Amino acid sequence: MDLFWAQLPQQIINGLTLGAVYALIALGYSMVYGVLQLLNFAHGDVYMIGAFIGFGIMTALLPDKGDPLLASPLIILLMLMAAILGCGVLGIGIEWFAYRPLRSSPRLAALISALGVSFFIQNAIQLTLGAKFRSYRGDALIPPTLGWDIGSARLSAVRLLTIAVAVLMMIGLTYLVRRTRLGRAMRAVALDREAAAMMGVDVDQVIVATFFIGSALAGVAGVLTGIVFTRIWHSMGFTAGLKGFTAAVVGGIGNIPGAMLGGFLLGLVEAFATGFISSTYKDVIAFMVLVLVLLIRPRGLLGAAVLKKV
Amino acid sequence: MEKFGRDEWVAQIEGRRKARGPWLRLAEQWQRVPLGLRFALFIILAAAVPLATDNDYVIRVAGNFVLYSILALGLNLVVGYAGLLDLGYVAFYGLGGYAYAYLSSDFSGLHWPTWASIPLVMFLTALVGLLLGSTSLRLLGDYLAIVTLGFGQIFVQLTNNMTRISLPGRAEPVDLTGGPNGIVNIDPISFLGFSASTVTHYYYLLLALLALILIVVYHLNNSRVGRAWRSLREDELAAEAMGMPTRWLKLLAFAIGAGIAGLSGSVFAAWQGNVFPNNFDVTLLILLYTMVILGGMGSLPGVVMGAFILSVMPEVLREVELSRYLFYGGMLFVLATMIRPWPRLVLVLVGVLVGGYLLKLAVMALWPTLVTTPEVASSFLGRALQAWLIIPPQATLIGNLAFVVVVPSLLFLSRTRYTIVRLIALIPTLYLLAFVWETRLAVEPSITRLLLLGVLLVVLMIYRPQGLLGQRRVEII
Repeated sequence: MDLFWAQLPQQIINGLTLGAVYALIALGYSMVYGVLQLLNFAHGDVYMIGAFIGFGIMTALLPDKGDPLLASPLIILLMLMAAILGCGVLGIGIEWFAYRPLRSSPRLAALISALGVSFFIQNAIQLTLGAKFRSYRGDALIPPTLGWDIGSARLSAVRLLTIAVAVLMMIGLTYLVRRTRLGRAMRAVALDREAAAMMGVDVDQVIVATFFIGSALAGVAGVLTGIVFTRIWHSMGFTAGLKGFTAAVVGGIGNIPGAMLGGFLLGLVEAFATGFISSTYKDVIAFMVLVLVLLIRPRGLLGAAVLKKV
Repeated sequence: MEKFGRDEWVAQIEGRRKARGPWLRLAEQWQRVPLGLRFALFIILAAAVPLATDNDYVIRVAGNFVLYSILALGLNLVVGYAGLLDLGYVAFYGLGGYAYAYLSSDFSGLHWPTWASIPLVMFLTALVGLLLGSTSLRLLGDYLAIVTLGFGQIFVQLTNNMTRISLPGRAEPVDLTGGPNGIVNIDPISFLGFSASTVTHYYYLLLALLALILIVVYHLNNSRVGRAWRSLREDELAAEAMGMPTRWLKLLAFAIGAGIAGLSGSVFAAWQGNVFPNNFDVTLLILLYTMVILGGMGSLPGVVMGAFILSVMPEVLREVELSRYLFYGGMLFVLATMIRPWPRLVLVLVGVLVGGYLLKLAVMALWPTLVTTPEVASSFLGRALQAWLIIPPQATLIGNLAFVVVVPSLLFLSRTRYTIVRLIALIPTLYLLAFVWETRLAVEPSITRLLLLGVLLVVLMIYRPQGLLGQRRVEII
């Protein structure tokens, strides 16, 4: 039991780091689902592209031999900006080519189309960049010695950065959705697309903005994953997308605070499973939690019960 | 927008009215032939394959096609008839494979006779399907999809990792699945003193199974249960209001689908003689979904046709020359349907051919080091391409770059409205596309296959969501 208490703070830190990444992915899923009722299966692959964009910027600015071209905080900032821009544009492109023509089709059609996009992106990356693992040079960006000891646990600077960036993004998103014109339009479209259109909301524009923001968040998650966990590869998006979706569902899909809560919760569950049970079964345990939550609250933790009117 | 009702009958009549032209009329005549007769003809034709060739490879490909047909028929029952988005279907297939392997191999020491093991495996997978279904049927459509997808992932994870499990009563940890090395040396299927040993034996066995399952599924679909499933798919609320036991209907579809998958899994295990976790991964799931959707969800001939196209096509793509003909032929076909009237098509084609040839001449005259001379291709098309296309020294790298350029430009060209701009921009794009095919896509057939699968899914959903032989549904509000 003593061992448990000694390990607990460290596992909480690990869980929050992992959870920050999951929450960022879950937000994109949840936002898109909110406005379009579409499961964007390609979201995980957007996240993967974000990780690769960050990798590209890093390799360009941080040569293997010789001095870095910029200070490392600046490099990280540039990586994040590039991933936000690149993934945002990619998200808009996916919506434009694969989902927009299917706006009025049955939902299954859009879902299958999303599966197709996911498959395409994954294999396009495998074709052009190969199937091998690549490693972020996280040590060179942030020295691993930097960090703080809190009791028995250690909060390294990398983990703090990940959590801080994610929380910052979430605060920004909450402000955007709650306080701005665009946010109000997004909520209106999510509530009732036709009524919103009749009230003068440009629905297409709102959907494009939603895809941009959601995909940009996934891109940030990709870069953060690279910095903290270092390894990236062409099919990393599949499992991560599944986890992000699980987090969104646990929190109540379509619900933005729910996605954050679900993400952090899933991260904590996984960290505890890894730390106290076995790392091989962390996915199994995470999935069990999903089923359990859904059995007790079929609409997720924060999801409101929806009455279907006919 | 919420869809209220779709009527197959109205769509059928409307489709019939639109059927003009000799091909469509011929197709309609063919439609009039009773389904049973059509399938009997198909089975007889398929049964003649081993008589026509003694090439094991061809029979193996044909056997794979039949196996995929069976699997796709089971999936069609769950997704196409009952309308349940089951993304864990492949896990039931894998469960069947592993259960059979467990019951009849040295791995466990059990060597059950086939007549006992296969029914048990079917029962077992159906039971697991029932269990999974009963936990997740409270969930609405998308939630069901994610829970079943998670189940599929868990299955692969467990089979990969359950190599050191401590069981009560045993001192040493036990290997339950063989991990990534799988289970090998599985007994062949044998009954009444006959043991299936060659590819041809399994082919006939699979064909007989396919015939059986076609009959079962056909009658199931036309039964009271089948009608109930369809009403459930169209409008669950209305079905429930009519007093249908929607919960039981869904569970039944789930269990039957799982049973069929389990059956095909055990035949697969016996045929291959081994099972590995990566036999049952997401790629197979996507492939099966593409089969069902390409052929036409809910249509039996459609599903079999989808399985045929998607299981034989990749084998054809393995041959460089054949795939070349297929690719350029397909490109020509797409262009011919997209660009009208025909003088424009001629303009584009001539532009690509002449422009490409002039470019090659110019580059050879100015920078001769940029052109390599590959070994002479065997076919006419191959030699013509060699005369026309520039293959630079660093073909892979430049091919990758060209791929990155070609994808967005093709996408944009598919959505522009200005035809003249489109026509002129099409010329370099097509040239680059040919370049990408020759330098990258033809070199990596296994990736290309999956890449094309993804494209196929998106394009199909946009242009023909009902599939090749599926019925369009009309909205009645």
